[in-house]
Amino acid sequence: MDFESLSTDLRSLQARALEEIAATADPAALDALQIQYLGKKGDLTAVLRGIGALPADDRPRVGAIANEVGEAVRGALATRGTELRAQVQTLRLAAEKVDVTLPGRPVARGALHPIPETIAAIAEVFGQFGFVTYEGPEVEDDLTNFQMLNIAPDHPARDLWDTLYVDIPGHLLRTHTSPGQIRVMQSTKPPIRVLLPGRCFRYEAVDASHAFEFFQVEGLMVDEGTSMADLKGLLDECAHALFGPRKTRFRPGYYPFTEPSVAFDVECVVCGGVGCPACSKSGWMTILGAGMVHPVVLQYGGIDPERYQGFAFGMGVERISNLRHAVPDLRYYLENDLRFLEQFR
Amino acid sequence: MRVPLSWLREYVDVQQTPEQLAERLTLLGMEVKGIETWGADWRSVVVGELLTVEKHPYADRLHLTTVNIGSGEPLHIVCGAHNIAPGQRVPVALPGAVLPGERRIERTEKMGIASEGMLCSGDELHITADAEGILILPPGTPLGRQLSDLYGDIVLDVDVKPNRGDALCLIGLAREVAAATGAAVRWPEISVSEAGGPVGDRLKVEVRDSELCTRFVGRWISDAKIGPSPDTIQMRLQAAGMRPVSNVVDASNYVMLELGKPTHTFDGSAVRDGTIIVRLAAAGEKLETLDHVWRELTPDTLIIADPRGPIGIAGVMGGADSEITAATTEIAIESAIFDPVSIRRTGHRFALRSEASLRFEKGQEFRLARIGADRVAQLTLAWAGGSCARGRVDTAPTEPGSPRLAFRPARVGKLLGAEIQTAEQRDLLSRVGIATEPAPAGSRIQVAVEPKPLEIDPGAEEVLLAVVPTWRRDLEIEADVAEEVARVRGYETTPSHLPDTLMPAYRPSPAIVRDAVRQTLAGAGLTEAVTHALVAPADEARLQWPDDQGLSIAQPAAGAVIAVTNPLSSQHSVLRQHIVASLLAVLALNERQGREDVAIFEIGKGYGRVGDAPREWTRLALLLSGNAEPAAWNRPARPYDLDDAKGILEMICRRLHLPAPSYVPDNRGFPFHPGRALAAEAGSDGESITGRVAELHPDALEMWELRAQRVIVAELAIRGLDGATVRRIRVEPIARFPVVERDLAVIVNEGRTAAEVEATIVRHGGGLLRGQRLFDLYRGLPLVAEEKSLAYRLVFGADDRTLTEAEIDAAVAAVRSGLEIDLGAHIRS
Repeated sequence: MDFESLSTDLRSLQARALEEIAATADPAALDALQIQYLGKKGDLTAVLRGIGALPADDRPRVGAIANEVGEAVRGALATRGTELRAQVQTLRLAAEKVDVTLPGRPVARGALHPIPETIAAIAEVFGQFGFVTYEGPEVEDDLTNFQMLNIAPDHPARDLWDTLYVDIPGHLLRTHTSPGQIRVMQSTKPPIRVLLPGRCFRYEAVDASHAFEFFQVEGLMVDEGTSMADLKGLLDECAHALFGPRKTRFRPGYYPFTEPSVAFDVECVVCGGVGCPACSKSGWMTILGAGMVHPVVLQYGGIDPERYQGFAFGMGVERISNLRHAVPDLRYYLENDLRFLEQFR
Repeated sequence: MRVPLSWLREYVDVQQTPEQLAERLTLLGMEVKGIETWGADWRSVVVGELLTVEKHPYADRLHLTTVNIGSGEPLHIVCGAHNIAPGQRVPVALPGAVLPGERRIERTEKMGIASEGMLCSGDELHITADAEGILILPPGTPLGRQLSDLYGDIVLDVDVKPNRGDALCLIGLAREVAAATGAAVRWPEISVSEAGGPVGDRLKVEVRDSELCTRFVGRWISDAKIGPSPDTIQMRLQAAGMRPVSNVVDASNYVMLELGKPTHTFDGSAVRDGTIIVRLAAAGEKLETLDHVWRELTPDTLIIADPRGPIGIAGVMGGADSEITAATTEIAIESAIFDPVSIRRTGHRFALRSEASLRFEKGQEFRLARIGADRVAQLTLAWAGGSCARGRVDTAPTEPGSPRLAFRPARVGKLLGAEIQTAEQRDLLSRVGIATEPAPAGSRIQVAVEPKPLEIDPGAEEVLLAVVPTWRRDLEIEADVAEEVARVRGYETTPSHLPDTLMPAYRPSPAIVRDAVRQTLAGAGLTEAVTHALVAPADEARLQWPDDQGLSIAQPAAGAVIAVTNPLSSQHSVLRQHIVASLLAVLALNERQGREDVAIFEIGKGYGRVGDAPREWTRLALLLSGNAEPAAWNRPARPYDLDDAKGILEMICRRLHLPAPSYVPDNRGFPFHPGRALAAEAGSDGESITGRVAELHPDALEMWELRAQRVIVAELAIRGLDGATVRRIRVEPIARFPVVERDLAVIVNEGRTAAEVEATIVRHGGGLLRGQRLFDLYRGLPLVAEEKSLAYRLVFGADDRTLTEAEIDAAVAAVRSGLEIDLGAHIRS
């Protein structure tokens, strides 16, 4: 064995290896080639076994060639390996192609009922102005529901509230959230800023605009010098928050428990104030009743009406929701047809 | 109240359009709810002249007429009335006309003869009450004109509030118009020509209860002739919503609408001895009222009587015996003032609320008794003739003057949040007839009347006296004056600003826990329902939901059912104690709409009574039916089962940072599936959550006529639903040393529950056991028939070291032997 033939063998080994590596289409075969050429019992080792027969001068030269060959084969293996992996990946990805326009896997999401959601929206607005929320009983006593609110038995104003009575003497189903005013005043001292949301009941035949169960949010603020201008300011903010920027106005109203009493109107949410059937052509929609707390009510609440004054308001939750969501029929709320409720998802 | 504008104009000039007037009145507090064009429903009704009137050849009761309507050929019209004659002017409904009540008039044939329209009676047009004859128009009425041009009117529907009884009449509203526009109010000229003898010879009045009848003014008219009122008067009454009856009754009604004074007219011959007695009824007395109903009078009913017995219920309804009839010639006029509360109670007792009683209830101006009697007499004489006896019977002729009400102009401004000069306030008040004068020294301010009168010494503040008009019975305290100033000035001038006063202390919202649960459930795919609190007693009873689930803390016992004593219907007559039945009704409704997959919840109240103390509590109820995962192109359907409800409950516990719930089988059977129901608890002794989760018994599904094969329900008392905060999270330090997991398959008899196995693991796990999780449940070979295998992954660890194999082996061995000894289990690991 001489230097020439050995180096020729090495070169041809390299050529063969590179050829086979280039021809390989399979990563496993590539691994086999690595072992075949570069393994401990591989071809390169076998060729180099002949190196001991060479003169000492030639050995380093052959060693250098052998390293070159080894490097070339290793490099070819790595390059081909990378190529093959990329090919395999490309093929896999191509095979995994889906129609991305198909709909997703459904994730269930329930809807929240518009009544509690509207109450929450109102509470959020007034909460920003320091109003805290209380809740009172729905089975009320006549004293708190009427008499302490300046509605004596046999007062003609009782006709404003058709009442459902229960079989507990002196009790009824509260006709409004206003008795909460008394309960709050009796349990706290001014400054008072509270909201009182809840279910109310009236003796009322059901149709598209009447219900015997409905929801109200009462508001009460009492302090030294709390005035009708404060009431107007807060209600303007509330109207803005719930209905967007719109004109508002007070007009006179009547409630036995406020003096003076007002109705609060916003520019019609349907026609924007031009006049349409929804607002009886007036351009205005009444969204709540309000007024300055009657001194009689303050006295029943244990508050000195000479020192303190305040306002109260009461709004119908369904009324607000009807206007915000264009709900056409009051019966939708307690009927719970999912075709209605799921629109609030 | 319906206000015909043409009538209103008798008392005040109106320059505005009806819309402008309505706006002004509304902004003054007399809300105009509607503007009606009276006569708008007479479409294609014109004035015609009868040319000929002949007998119908084939029908005795019909006439053939020819009618000139001013243009074109005369019309041939068949008519059934008998009061017609050639030359008369009459309303003619042309073919295509539509009369009140959507009655359409077409060209027809009547007994073989064509009729090209219809001659109209006053009743058919809702113009007068006469249904017998054709409405005969005045001779000069222009031919061919639309009737609505001639007799149409604008009618305002004014919502007069209960405190303003004084405005429940044309004069009262004319005063409000005057306040709004600055015009002057014209009272009608009221004078009675008294041609008869002294009234005392005909009428005696004895008031036995002068508290319930504070004044009685009587007049007497002889030789009246009963008949219809003039057509123009009938039209006015009709437009105002009152049906014309006869000239005398119409006079009384006219005065009620004009002045707000209800009066009553009796047939004088039916008043025995010409003596009227106002007294409380005696027990056992009866009266046939005008509506021909016999009524048992109770001893607290104020009545009008003659010496023989009752002839009317005071202020509410007259008696049939003394009714004005066609034969009546003698007329006794009653113009009285009754106690409002007494009238209101009587009206309620007999379910008789009349236009008259509504006005009495609101209180009456004292002098109206006199004025009303005079006005009725005047109009009766004008419309029915006769002669009026000289003078009046009057039980309380002294009429009080105007009360004075002290107020502080500065206070008025403070209430309204606007500075309003005293001079302006005085001017505003004068527009509603309230004069003002300086207050004498020492005047005190009436701040409140009830529950205890509160009078204030105004000190150095400026004080004025408001001279309250006698008709304004609603002005009692200083705040009432403020309202008058505000409404006349116009609330649109109210300034708007945000409060700059002290804020109250923080208070958590009572909805915090509720909202956390609501959001969680919506996220889990459940939709929120809000159902009626009032339910049918049968629904409440037939579900037989166990009522032992009061949450021990703060949750009251359920107690007895509260019933409504005046329910609207038997479907809504008791307050519910449980919510699940309401959700079943919601499921039934949605099933009828073709919905099968229904997952809903409600957070609502239950109600009960313990003795006479009402109780309310808040619960969460949920209902699952149909598919938890409806089939999709990329997934098969999966129906809801009990595990979904438990999973939801476990999620709620996590959300509220409560311990995981524990389950105890509830095998009572109905209303539950006997093998698929449980009592759930979280917190020690269920102090955080307690309730039932169950699949319903098939019989229950049948009761609610449900199509669903399986319905899962739960009702849970959750601490904080009626007002609390969510428990704060306390973080456990992250373990510094690794934990080790060991799996254990526990083979037990079928009779053992998972809860028992888990409790046993915990009991024997020692301090190193950090947790355990069931990851597999297996039945079948190689297990025998009565066995099941529960596979748990146990987690061991310590805070201060890495556990050694020996420690872990010892802990697992303790669990194994515990399970073997306590439960007879064998273990595969």
